[in-house]
Amino acid sequence: LKPRLVALFLLIVVLPIGVLAALAFRIARDEREMVEHRLQSVMAGALDDVRGAVARLMAQRFRETGDALRLPSLDPQALRDAGRRNLAIRQVFVLDGKGRLAFPTTAIPLRPSEEQFLERTRGVWEGGGAFLRTGSDRVATATQTLSLPASLQQADSARSGEDSGWYPWYRGTSLHLIFWSREAGGEIVGAELDHVRLLADIIALLPQTDPLKPNPADGAIALIDAGGNVIYQWGGYAVTLPSGQQPRATVWLDAPLHSWRLEYHAPQKLFSAGRQSLFFNLAAGVGGLALALIGLAAYFYRENSRELREATRRVSFVNQVSHELKTPLTNIRMYAELLDREIPDDSEKARSQLEVIVSESQRLSRLIGNILTFSRKERDSLVLRYSVGVIDDVAQSVIANFQPSLGACGVKVDFTASAGGKVRFDADALGQILGNLFSNVEKYAGAGGVLSVTSRQAGETTTIVIADNGPGIPESQQENVFAPFTRLRNELTEGVTGTGIGLSIARDLARLHGGDLRLLPGSPGAAFELTMKTPAASAEGAFE
Amino acid sequence: MRLIQPAKTIALGVAAVLAVLVTGTGAAWASGVAMKTGLATPVMLADKKQTAYLKVGLTGVALEPGMRRAPVNVAVVLDKSGSMTGQKIAEAKRAAILAIDQLAPDDIVSVITYDSTVNVLVPATKLSDRSSLYAAINRIEAGGNTALFAGVSKGADEIRKFAGNDKVNRIILLSDGLANVGPSSPSDLAQLGSSLTREGITVSTIGLGLGYNEDLMTQLSSRGGGSHYFAEKATDLAAMFEREFRRTLSIVAQEVVVRIICVPGVRPVRVLGREAEIAGQQVTAMLDQVYSESEKYVILEVELPAREDGSELHVASVDASYTNMKTKAPDKSSARVLARFTKSAADVDANTDRDAMVAAVEQIATEKSQAAMKLRDEGKVEEARTVLMQNSGYLASNASKFRSDKLSRFQEDNDENAKNLDEASWARQRKTWSTGDVWRVKQ
Repeated sequence: LKPRLVALFLLIVVLPIGVLAALAFRIARDEREMVEHRLQSVMAGALDDVRGAVARLMAQRFRETGDALRLPSLDPQALRDAGRRNLAIRQVFVLDGKGRLAFPTTAIPLRPSEEQFLERTRGVWEGGGAFLRTGSDRVATATQTLSLPASLQQADSARSGEDSGWYPWYRGTSLHLIFWSREAGGEIVGAELDHVRLLADIIALLPQTDPLKPNPADGAIALIDAGGNVIYQWGGYAVTLPSGQQPRATVWLDAPLHSWRLEYHAPQKLFSAGRQSLFFNLAAGVGGLALALIGLAAYFYRENSRELREATRRVSFVNQVSHELKTPLTNIRMYAELLDREIPDDSEKARSQLEVIVSESQRLSRLIGNILTFSRKERDSLVLRYSVGVIDDVAQSVIANFQPSLGACGVKVDFTASAGGKVRFDADALGQILGNLFSNVEKYAGAGGVLSVTSRQAGETTTIVIADNGPGIPESQQENVFAPFTRLRNELTEGVTGTGIGLSIARDLARLHGGDLRLLPGSPGAAFELTMKTPAASAEGAFE
Repeated sequence: MRLIQPAKTIALGVAAVLAVLVTGTGAAWASGVAMKTGLATPVMLADKKQTAYLKVGLTGVALEPGMRRAPVNVAVVLDKSGSMTGQKIAEAKRAAILAIDQLAPDDIVSVITYDSTVNVLVPATKLSDRSSLYAAINRIEAGGNTALFAGVSKGADEIRKFAGNDKVNRIILLSDGLANVGPSSPSDLAQLGSSLTREGITVSTIGLGLGYNEDLMTQLSSRGGGSHYFAEKATDLAAMFEREFRRTLSIVAQEVVVRIICVPGVRPVRVLGREAEIAGQQVTAMLDQVYSESEKYVILEVELPAREDGSELHVASVDASYTNMKTKAPDKSSARVLARFTKSAADVDANTDRDAMVAAVEQIATEKSQAAMKLRDEGKVEEARTVLMQNSGYLASNASKFRSDKLSRFQEDNDENAKNLDEASWARQRKTWSTGDVWRVKQ
């Protein structure tokens, strides 16, 4: 009963809770993913606004630098003044029609800043040779020879009529921008932007961190250069970047700052805050349900165990009563048999009355035997007591016991005995089995019937077939006859009494005896085949 | 005829001296700034190609009592990174409040704090409501990294809201640490400083404790046209802030540019100490601001051609253009520098301009001092000590020759530097040292 109870408990408590918890987890996860997704798209939008603001600044710088370099003459003084007037410009330069540096060159006295410029940008003129190949006939390829990325070329194509653009170059990871513009005469006038000034202006443009109530939930946005260095960071989330964590959103800036990106970082908690309350609600729901289910299960268990105790008490009461009945019954039988010897041979009437007493007391003792066996079985204390004997002898004695009552019913007994070997078996159990089967015949077979008993032995197996030519058992009921407390209900059984445990006990005993009791199909009446494991008496040691 | 020659010579000499008095070394008083120009040796030996030092000195006039000074537009940029925790931030807050207390209601103040990020704690505003400003400052708590570049950039942005050349536009930066977010090399910060100066915004820096990068802070302030202060202890901050604010309030001219045009034949060799641009015969130096009752000067080394005895030479024309903070209008002073040639060494000595010589010696000794620091940075302790010892002798002899307290004090500082070249006191000494040098160069 215990494992079944555990299984039941699992079924009605653990399973629903498990299913609910799984559902709750899925809901929570979906919710979190949704929140995260929504937040990410909001942040990507915010980053995009910043990107747009920086792009506008760069467009403005492009215009202003272009305006600053639109000079009536390209003499050094004018170029120097142009550079001095514009804060965004670090150095102005001119390439002649053949792409050679025309200013600043060592041909004229240079200022230290101009010498530094030549030193600094040597790689631009030599290595890339970018500007050197922009001859007047190669206007179309000018942007290509600048080896600009596609995005930048697109950005430039809008201004292709002016033939001017940005040329980004790197010193280490530090981005430097060169503005260039082609003059009518084929010269290129350009300017190196002050990269520090550009950074300062971009930073001035970007938002600050709210000083009064820095809210970590706002996250942190960082502008990061090509080398992964944080240029500027804002937002209430005090995180030291790079933090090793993946950003929640990343947006790359437009050309010419396309090697820079904006990253949005947020504390893990920001996403788990909503999730936690959701988790709490779901967990509370699931927990409450679990408690209710456990309470229900506990209630049922208590009810069930009370009933079980009740039933056990009843069984033990019946058992007790049966035991109490057994002793007087034995005395009755003993004195009835003693009386049998005292009765004179000619007293037919007295003898027949005594036979009724004996047979009825035998029936009563069978009944009590059944009850005791059943209750032992219920207590799992049913054991067989083996002894050496002959099967046929036991069968014959049982038949003899039934002879008077069967005779009274008009049933003839036909015993074919072929199990005469000395074997080890439980004679009481065999007697009980046969008694129950014969008792059924007595009840149901009716007048004029024949009870045929056939025994045989093969190896260690003894088989006894008990058949009658009565009405038999309907096919639909054949499965049920062995279940305890089952009594066939039809016109035949009307008015016949019984406990409903006879066949059940018979089969249990047969199985305990290493065999079985089954209903043989296809016979006209009811035919039972009893098999038992009956080792030969000589093999005593081997069996036990 | 024989009499005429000396008479002519004397007449020429008198004329030359007069000319020197009137134009050369004469104080050209424009409103706000007095310019004094001249050679350290206005009388030179004849028949010899030689170098001379040309000094252009600008002195701010004394502020008369009751005179309205120029309004200031100050951005106080405070480092509140993790290293500022405790007494440092408490003293910084106190010092900032004390300093701001000196300002008038017309003045404009913004307060910017930075750690990993930047807070514009008080956006640029007129000082009408002090109590809420002080409350905001008192709320500052330290913690985080050091986004120094961004702090200054945002400070400049606040200044720009009210910027104008009728105001003194000044960023005052306090930091105790190394910049570690955003651009953080001394050269990048120097470039930021010079860019802001060109825009009319000057930057002063206060370094607190021994953990900051003095190269970054001094370069930012010197290229930013401001001053640098070294506050070794947090309790020094109040005095430093007070000094810087008093200085800021005493600015009488700003965007000061000195241009010296040498006549053909006179070669401008180099400007001692401060940065200047020499293009051909023209020398341009930015002096940024002139403070009241305080002199700023430029020393130009020139090579003069050999001239005969008794002749005189127009060496250069000097002009200083600036924004006069009293009239809030552009102003200009001009002067001509002359030299006279003689055979008499005594004549040369007698006419030597003591102040100009002291200034030249100060700049030369500062250059040596910086060379010694470079050696020490390279780990050449003994070489550095040798240079400092030579410098000490040079300063001592000139101090007694020109009876200059200034040079004596310099010698004391120089000797102090020589004594503290070992590793134990180096972090502290290097800060004192570079601060002193920057003050001597920039005045």
